[in-house]
Amino acid sequence: MALITVSGLTKSYGTHQVLHGIDLTVDEGEIVGVLGPNGSGKTTAVECIGGLRARDGGTVDIAGMDPATDPLALREMLGMQLQQCRLPNRMRVGEALDLYSAFYANPRPAGELLDRFGLAAHARQPFGKLSGGQQQRLSIALALIGRPRIAFLDELTTGLDPAARREIWEYLGLLRDEGVTMLLVTHFMEEAAFLCDRVVILEDGRIVASGTPADIAAGTGGQETSFAADPAIDLDALRRLPGVTSVSVDRGRVSVRGDADSPQVVLAALAGSGIVARQLRVTTPSLDDAYLSLTQEGSLR
Amino acid sequence: MTAATAPATRSLATTTPTDRFTRAFAAHLRSETRLILREAAALIFGAVLPLAAIIVMSAIPAAREPLADFGGLSVVRTYQPTILLFATSVLGLTIVPAILGGYRQAGILRRLRTTPASPATLLAALFVVVAAVGLVVAALIVAIPAIAGAGLPEHLGWFALAAVLSLVAFLALGTLLAAVVPSPQVAAGLGNVVAALMWFSAGLWLPRVFFPDWLVTLTDLTPGGAATQAMIDAAVGVQPSWQPFVVLVVWTAAAALVAVRTFRWE
Repeated sequence: MALITVSGLTKSYGTHQVLHGIDLTVDEGEIVGVLGPNGSGKTTAVECIGGLRARDGGTVDIAGMDPATDPLALREMLGMQLQQCRLPNRMRVGEALDLYSAFYANPRPAGELLDRFGLAAHARQPFGKLSGGQQQRLSIALALIGRPRIAFLDELTTGLDPAARREIWEYLGLLRDEGVTMLLVTHFMEEAAFLCDRVVILEDGRIVASGTPADIAAGTGGQETSFAADPAIDLDALRRLPGVTSVSVDRGRVSVRGDADSPQVVLAALAGSGIVARQLRVTTPSLDDAYLSLTQEGSLR
Repeated sequence: MTAATAPATRSLATTTPTDRFTRAFAAHLRSETRLILREAAALIFGAVLPLAAIIVMSAIPAAREPLADFGGLSVVRTYQPTILLFATSVLGLTIVPAILGGYRQAGILRRLRTTPASPATLLAALFVVVAAVGLVVAALIVAIPAIAGAGLPEHLGWFALAAVLSLVAFLALGTLLAAVVPSPQVAAGLGNVVAALMWFSAGLWLPRVFFPDWLVTLTDLTPGGAATQAMIDAAVGVQPSWQPFVVLVVWTAAAALVAVRTFRWE
């Protein structure tokens, strides 16, 4: 069942239109990633959906509420981690958690979050003296302290080292098991592939692709089967095979692109003609590849 | 009802908005109190400096003697309203815009918008904490000369009313500065300029008894001049007129109205 339904969301800053009609649904318990290059409107979209920015057009429904009217019940169930948001420099980690837990009806114990986010040893340290990564972890902890049913996390692991990033993914995995619905804005394909049930790719304020990370990865040409060129190979016959989308020859190698079953089909066809594919390589495109081919970041500018 | 029979988790239905505001407000109040006590710079000009001045003056015997030039008041009692006004104006006009603007610039108010506690709760707590510091400092500025033997203002009630109204007016004007000036540094800097004008109106450089009539009339229309005149009258036992109180209330109301209409969380 859809917990979040967005349709036709538009937003302009002055004469510059940032969002050109975003449609998005997020089911209860789902983790959806919002990907896209800098300036594609990811943060604006998430902040409009969360009611932090006024939208120009379209509708947003979160659990039956319109965030633009700022209902208290929504603020109780939705935890938001924002980019570039600080605390007073002299506020200590433990004090920040205590303060924020006073806002919610049933907060998570501060100790649990301190442990989870590797901040237990820094509980008495002032915010201004924390490293960027520690500040970031505290920021995520504050977004989750109210036991939100829904969490919006904007660039949650930016500035974290790989180990800290893994730990946070692990914790978000636990929250997913508890049924927490999440909308993640991220730059990291690895993060999206690891955490997200579904991703949407934004480009210039429009959704240019959406689906599971695997679908998106497969969607741009699917599997590539390549092997050493041999005069005996009938390239036209390969092109006619079911599921094959393209065949090309480059620097002594034949490359066949096609759907998920195409490697089997190609090898069977070659075997049927008595040809052994030498130096065989089957590559699955990654989400990275798909992302680059879907967004302008991948085109030569 | 005992804690044992209460459900393990408090549901939304059982907590009223008032309960929730009270909890959030109390938490902000604790937090802002701790933070302002750690912010030495905020307290040096708004509290330590005026208190040091009144202690030094009270300690000098000659400054406690009544002088005919000052209308029969001693030096310390003549400067008492000015020093008090110095403290309330610094707290209201420079500390409030610096903290408030800083919170807005750091995204703290924006972050609070995503929680069930409105950022207005933080503002309310901040006003209460700054006002409490102002009241304690003002009370000490009145009490210290009295303890030293220089006596209390003749009409203590009117004196206190003028002092409190000046504090409230400066809090409102400081909030107005934070509302209309985006940068906390610029807002606090402007606050310093306005505060210096208030100190002049209050007679910091030239006691008000030496002001020419036109300057009295002009400065009477400022919150600094009005509050000081009312405090001086109350100090010598003259019933203060209603004008200074009206001036203070009008400034407060106008500043608060514009501040509420123009203040943005981000």
